[in-house]
Amino acid sequence: MAAASPSQRATSQFLRRLRRSLPWYPFIIVNTVIFLVFNLVPWISMFRYSVLKTDLLSTREFVGLDHFVTMLTDAKLHKAMLNTVWFTVMYIPLLVAVSLGVAVLVNRPLRGMKAFRALYFLPNITSVAVLSLIFRRFLSPRPDGPINFLIGLVGIPPQRWLIDVNQAMPSIVGISLWEAFGYFMVIWLAGLQAIPSELYDAAKVDGANGWRLHRYVTIPLLRPTAAFIIVIATIGALQVFGSIFILTGGGPVNATTTVVYQIYSEAFNFGRFGYASALSILFFVIILIVALIQSRYLRFGEDIY
Amino acid sequence: MSISEPSESVEKRNPIRETLIYIAMTVVALTTVGPFLIMISVSLTENIRFITFPVELIPTPITLENFQLLFARTDALRWLFNSVYVAFVSTLGGVITSSMAGFAFARGDFWGKTVIFTLFLGILIMPDTALIVPQFVVLSQLGLVNSYTALIGPWFASIFGTFLLRQAYLSIPRDYDDAATIDGANLWQTWWQVLMPQVVPAMATLAVLRFMGNWNSFFYPMIVTSKSDMRTLTVGLGTVARSGGDAGLDMSGAVLGFLPTLLVFILMQRYIIRGISLSGVKG
Repeated sequence: MAAASPSQRATSQFLRRLRRSLPWYPFIIVNTVIFLVFNLVPWISMFRYSVLKTDLLSTREFVGLDHFVTMLTDAKLHKAMLNTVWFTVMYIPLLVAVSLGVAVLVNRPLRGMKAFRALYFLPNITSVAVLSLIFRRFLSPRPDGPINFLIGLVGIPPQRWLIDVNQAMPSIVGISLWEAFGYFMVIWLAGLQAIPSELYDAAKVDGANGWRLHRYVTIPLLRPTAAFIIVIATIGALQVFGSIFILTGGGPVNATTTVVYQIYSEAFNFGRFGYASALSILFFVIILIVALIQSRYLRFGEDIY
Repeated sequence: MSISEPSESVEKRNPIRETLIYIAMTVVALTTVGPFLIMISVSLTENIRFITFPVELIPTPITLENFQLLFARTDALRWLFNSVYVAFVSTLGGVITSSMAGFAFARGDFWGKTVIFTLFLGILIMPDTALIVPQFVVLSQLGLVNSYTALIGPWFASIFGTFLLRQAYLSIPRDYDDAATIDGANLWQTWWQVLMPQVVPAMATLAVLRFMGNWNSFFYPMIVTSKSDMRTLTVGLGTVARSGGDAGLDMSGAVLGFLPTLLVFILMQRYIIRGISLSGVKG
């Protein structure tokens, strides 16, 4: 035989490719194994368990799509979804406004500015346990508790905060805002400082100043930053858990039970791991839809990000 | 912070306006720093059950008894050790594996590269919280609940870090690889001796983000530990917050949780800010 058959050539080509590939695999093996064990396997087990009724100990029963039917009539879940929306609707506009306001405030070449920015960032480096330890004390319902004392200075009577059905969620919003605004301030600052000063000069030449300068230069050019911040912050807001777990345990009367807390509670308070897995799928789909809608609506990805 | 100053030199300095700006900035600073100052002050106050205003910022006498109580009544020292150990191993492991994988995805030519890379990209968009229950299910089947393996495992590799370092390696000209190959270096030597020294800043940024992210993580370590002596400091302090001790005990716990992150922040601020502007995500 003068020449190798096509199949032999394909085999030797495959072997050559394999030989070239082999030295690279050790570089990705740890990453890949960890990804398999901690992401892919749980991801598959989430679907497997979503059709089971199990407490991981004794019961284990196939229930088909029952869990997904149950979701339609699960009043606690519906309340949790409303609570999650309520949290997000309060939190996002406040966060965007406060972090942008502070960013504009500190976006100046003044002495000591960097120190101020660092101080604003301080809550963000702190763990949720520390924040909760502090704010459980600050939001004490006692009239001489820190926050009640401070609002008393402007004539507002003492409030019950975390133990009040109507005030618990706004309190959690306040804590989350306090924790996060410095982080988003940094992102706004990066956006503000990416605007070339020539654009302001040109607008001034054209007669714009004060508010009009911001209306026609700053705001349009901050649009990609705003889109980025709103998407990131919303996905974060939908997942809020630590402060609720520590401070309210979902209460009072389920007032702060979010979808994530509900998933936690079904699994670890009631041992319904099958239903919790089905809820995890629901939650994942919700996040995906929100991210897709937002990125389309805000024209995310059209710009530098 | 390492963000450059704007060039608004054309604006005339207006002392009244400047004073107002300083006043506004100080008010905002008081809201972020004030609670921490009160936390420290209360932690050093004798026999304090509640925080009441007006507060005495410098307590008389100054005492460490709250900390003694904290260490006597809870496993706080053990939690501190667990946190330091877990954060250290997680950070070191995560940065090295990211550096290796980043190198392979930037320079490698291997079978399955695109598939694996796309799968990694898929994980990056998955919200962590959606996977927590299934992760617990898998870990409990493997008998890994209450183990360091469970606490460290997912942190021993970082998809975000792999992307970050891949970018860093891509910015290095291929001439370096070629020169190393001509000198007889194998892949490991090329990676370790020639290319990795050039991505140290990116690795440092990643290390700081991973350390802070791991130290402050709560949901996952809370789920995979049920025994007190396996908890991390953040999880342990969460139980202190729920247990309803007095204010002095609570605040001494808060100080213990706060100081390590403050230290890292002061030393590594530059890298934290760079990390945010690089990614917009933590960890």
